[in-house]
Amino acid sequence: MAPTEGANASSTSNTTPNDLKSPGTPPAAETPKTLPPPETKESLRLRQWVIASFWAVVLCLGLPMWWKTTAIYRADLPLQHMTDWAEGKICKPVFPLRIAVEAPFQLPDAHNLIRTTQHALDDLNEFSAHHLRLILADIPVARNASQQMVTDGMGISSNDRDIALLLRLIPVETGTTPRSMLQTYATRLDIYYAAHQIPSSSSTGSPLATFIAEELHSIFAEEQALLAYQLSTNVGALTPKMKAPSPEKVAELERQSTRALKYAPTYHLTFSLFSPTSVPSAWEIESALQQYLAPLLESFSFISNFTVDTQVQLYAGFSPSIRQPEYDDNLKAWTLRREDLSGFINAAEWPLSPSIGVGPTVNFVLYVPDQLQSPLLIKENGGNSWLVPQWGGVLILNPPTSGKNTPTVLTKDALAPAMHAFSDQLMSLLGFPQTPNSLPLRLATLERVRAASLLFSASSTLGALARLTKALPSIPIPDTVAKSVDLTIAHLQQSCDSLRDGRFQGALEHARTAEVEAEKAFFERSMVGQVYFPDEHKVAVYLPLLGPVAVPLVMSLLKEIKSVVR
Amino acid sequence: MLSFLPLLLLNALIPLGSANADYHERLLLRPLPQSAVLASFNFRSNETSTAFEEQNFRYFPRSLGQILQHARTKELHLRFSLGRWDAESWGERPWNGAREGGTGVELWAWIEGQSEEEAFSRWLTLTNALSGLFCASLNFIDATKTIRPVMSFQPEGNHANSSNLHLLHGTLPHEVVCTENLTPFVKLLPCKGKAGISSLLDGHKLFDASWQTMSIDVRPVCAAGGKDCILEMEQTVDMVLDIERSKRPRDNPIPRPLPIEEIACDESKPYNAADSCYPLEDSDGHQAAWNLTEIFGKPLKGACPLTAEEGENAHTVCVNSPPERTIQVNTTGPYLEANLAGDTVRCYKLPTGADFDLVFPSQQMTTGLVLATPPLFAARSINGHGQERGSVQAVIRNPSTSQAVEFVYLESLPWFMKPYLHTLRAHVSSSTENPIKETYYRPAVDRKRGTHLELRMLIPASSTLTLTYDFEKAILRYTEYPPDANRGFDVAPAIIRLITPPSSDGKGTYLRTTSLLLPLPTPDFSMPYNVIILTSTVMALGFGNIFNLLVRRFVGADEVQGTGGLKGMLVAKVARIRGMFGGS
Repeated sequence: MAPTEGANASSTSNTTPNDLKSPGTPPAAETPKTLPPPETKESLRLRQWVIASFWAVVLCLGLPMWWKTTAIYRADLPLQHMTDWAEGKICKPVFPLRIAVEAPFQLPDAHNLIRTTQHALDDLNEFSAHHLRLILADIPVARNASQQMVTDGMGISSNDRDIALLLRLIPVETGTTPRSMLQTYATRLDIYYAAHQIPSSSSTGSPLATFIAEELHSIFAEEQALLAYQLSTNVGALTPKMKAPSPEKVAELERQSTRALKYAPTYHLTFSLFSPTSVPSAWEIESALQQYLAPLLESFSFISNFTVDTQVQLYAGFSPSIRQPEYDDNLKAWTLRREDLSGFINAAEWPLSPSIGVGPTVNFVLYVPDQLQSPLLIKENGGNSWLVPQWGGVLILNPPTSGKNTPTVLTKDALAPAMHAFSDQLMSLLGFPQTPNSLPLRLATLERVRAASLLFSASSTLGALARLTKALPSIPIPDTVAKSVDLTIAHLQQSCDSLRDGRFQGALEHARTAEVEAEKAFFERSMVGQVYFPDEHKVAVYLPLLGPVAVPLVMSLLKEIKSVVR
Repeated sequence: MLSFLPLLLLNALIPLGSANADYHERLLLRPLPQSAVLASFNFRSNETSTAFEEQNFRYFPRSLGQILQHARTKELHLRFSLGRWDAESWGERPWNGAREGGTGVELWAWIEGQSEEEAFSRWLTLTNALSGLFCASLNFIDATKTIRPVMSFQPEGNHANSSNLHLLHGTLPHEVVCTENLTPFVKLLPCKGKAGISSLLDGHKLFDASWQTMSIDVRPVCAAGGKDCILEMEQTVDMVLDIERSKRPRDNPIPRPLPIEEIACDESKPYNAADSCYPLEDSDGHQAAWNLTEIFGKPLKGACPLTAEEGENAHTVCVNSPPERTIQVNTTGPYLEANLAGDTVRCYKLPTGADFDLVFPSQQMTTGLVLATPPLFAARSINGHGQERGSVQAVIRNPSTSQAVEFVYLESLPWFMKPYLHTLRAHVSSSTENPIKETYYRPAVDRKRGTHLELRMLIPASSTLTLTYDFEKAILRYTEYPPDANRGFDVAPAIIRLITPPSSDGKGTYLRTTSLLLPLPTPDFSMPYNVIILTSTVMALGFGNIFNLLVRRFVGADEVQGTGGLKGMLVAKVARIRGMFGGS
């Protein structure tokens, strides 16, 4: 230890004299013979100008250009307006239904009846957004008795599609009065009354008026419930005066609305026969469809178009992933558990690909079980058919047990129960209400419910788009999106206005366009392309240029600032 | 020496179509030389055209039917192929080559359309839809890979108004056919591989075959007068299995030498040690033992109940071999055996619901089958060297000693392979006459369409035709190279259709060459980044110099005041060290 310390000490002591001696060798560098002439003010200013102008070019030309060329184009969207629509702040849909009344008596009496009935109706109504307004239909003065009414079918005013229901008062002498009859294939409610039941002008209430009000209320009860449910599930659209429906009712309505397919102008119906064995290999589907389904589809034809295709698939058993059926001695049948029904569809092997072309496909599956596992039923309720929400329906067709073998051809009669079940399933898949017992009225109800639901779904799509735009600042927004959003808002407004005016057909049309445009805006393809191109990449690519250029610029600026400060 | 029996043509076994919806299937097995066996599956489903129009599908698959209706396709031919048919040793092609395609995927269809544009847009719809159905890259058949052949294809079906039908043809030579294409193919069959001969189809064996091709043909067939039309869909699978290779168990697929005791050694040769052996070659006419379950890897699960119960069509498995070949049937159910079309074809009616197996024991044969000589042999190759040019040579040989053959030669070349038509030479060995009778040529347009060349040629008896042309290789854009650019680019096989002698069944006689691998100049793919970095560096250097010239103050060397900073410190250090050594 000690010697090394000594060596170090000696070396340091040696260097000091050398240091003192050495200044003779590099004198030229440290003490210049002549000093450079002081810089002129002019050259100082010139340098400052040079640096300033470089920085000016960088800041005023370079940066904006850089910013502009690498920026993502984002069209202006009315974000606040879109959010307002989604929150239901702009449109509170109302459904004023006009009901025309044809009364074959004097005008003052008719007015009086309408007034009292309207009172009774308003008392019954709990849902202010949906209200029925009675108006007097114009009846030609020279109308003669009831014969003519029967012959001309629909009244004059009911040609107007905006009239929800035509109420026709028919005087009768026999039978219990008042009584009512709803036409199954027309929007007409016939009320039979006795002559003495016409309320006098002085009375404020009458049995006839109350009767009519109750009839109307019951006819539109389900529609009210459906619309109330629609409104209540959409935030902000809740109307304060509405009474909350019972929880069971809500559950039922929810089930109905989740079942229904989204509206489309075209639906493809696919009827498939599946069998785990090689029989039956044929079915008389053409005639069965002609008889059982064609009339139904015809009556739906003004809402949507339908294409129908059928197929036969053999050696196509149900999904092997669910529990195999068990034999139930009480039912004398093989049973499937209810919780397994959701896995029944053998998606891997059954060729149930959607049909080509726009529009959703509704699948109806007719499954004929193996002879060894027949009859096959559902354990819990002994049923044989079920509905798959928004997809289609399934029916297990157990061939008659009398024959030993499964028939190779399913006749039209054997298909009848299946076709009835499929018709019912199609009705609920399309979202038809259960009541009233008049097809045109149910269609009209469907129209209003659809308009409301489309209105809400388009609005919520707008809201989602607004949220997306705020949440992801790096996605581009092309002009087409802005245009679609504008169109959506315009059509939503028109749809809302049409609803208020009671023009439901128009409201549905506008809501449909709004929905299409909103979806188009939301699913714009070019919006997702750039998401994975972060800002760092833009810098990284140009760094070999920007780095070496920035260093002298920054250094000279710092130096100049230092000199100015000094 | 073997005596030879005439061979039965596959086409003779195809039953005539009926006017009703029905289903038919047949498997033909034919032993080939070098212990190979040709297995030819044929499935045919018919649907009446009224049921098809109304979309009531029974035997015809709904998925394919809807695609055809949506794309207005009247006749469709789709091929998936792998391997090469060894015509030298296996003889004539099955179905006269009319049911096979070039390596990869080949598709041609007659599409209805008022104009060419309309037909082409429907063609794109068709390729996209089929791409999804068959899990193949058919959607990559775009304008550059589509041609409109003029002479090479004739419609097989009866078409009412053929004036607005457009024939379009596309190939994907690079596509690798595999199990994901077989699964949808089998799903189209009514019995879905659960019963009938389709239960033998197994991806492991099919794609391990020496040569295999799957085809789908849809065509309308009408009775005379254009009435009672049916839509016929024919699916075929042809494969040549190597018996030894196919017999390897799946869990132990690596071939291993047999123990020496089990090898028949050639005793006539001298041996130095006990463990050496010259294996005795299979003598002429020796047939190896095999059975269906072994070579297909799956048992045949009885008959598909949809096929005919009676008559010739009920016999769904046929073996084309000399009558002396022993065949044992192994099944628990009732079956029938019959000789259809001569005694060289034995056909079996399968039992329903019981496994069926044919056992071919090892046997020394005295007779064999004559393998028909194909009408033409064809080979094509790329010659030349370098990155810029090359030439193609096709050699076509007519083995017949008496008959001249007239044929159409179709080339569909990618746009980046640019042939020089003026260098096209055709030369026949036996004469000096120009064999090219007619030429149809549609030149390529860069990135828009490929070259389409059709030649009608005549080749005299027992002579060889050599066709050559030069081409230039284009340089592609950076993004146009595939991920494996250095592998090369596949060029579709040339298609040869025979005009004379005409085929007897109206489906034509075809043969195809193998596909070619074209190496193109490939760039260094990191180039753009190198370019960016280099140019940036140069620009930064220039900028730095100019900027420094502008902002620095220049003084004389003797006027520099002090050396502060890093330089000063360094100078001081150097002086100190120098002082240390210099002073002592």
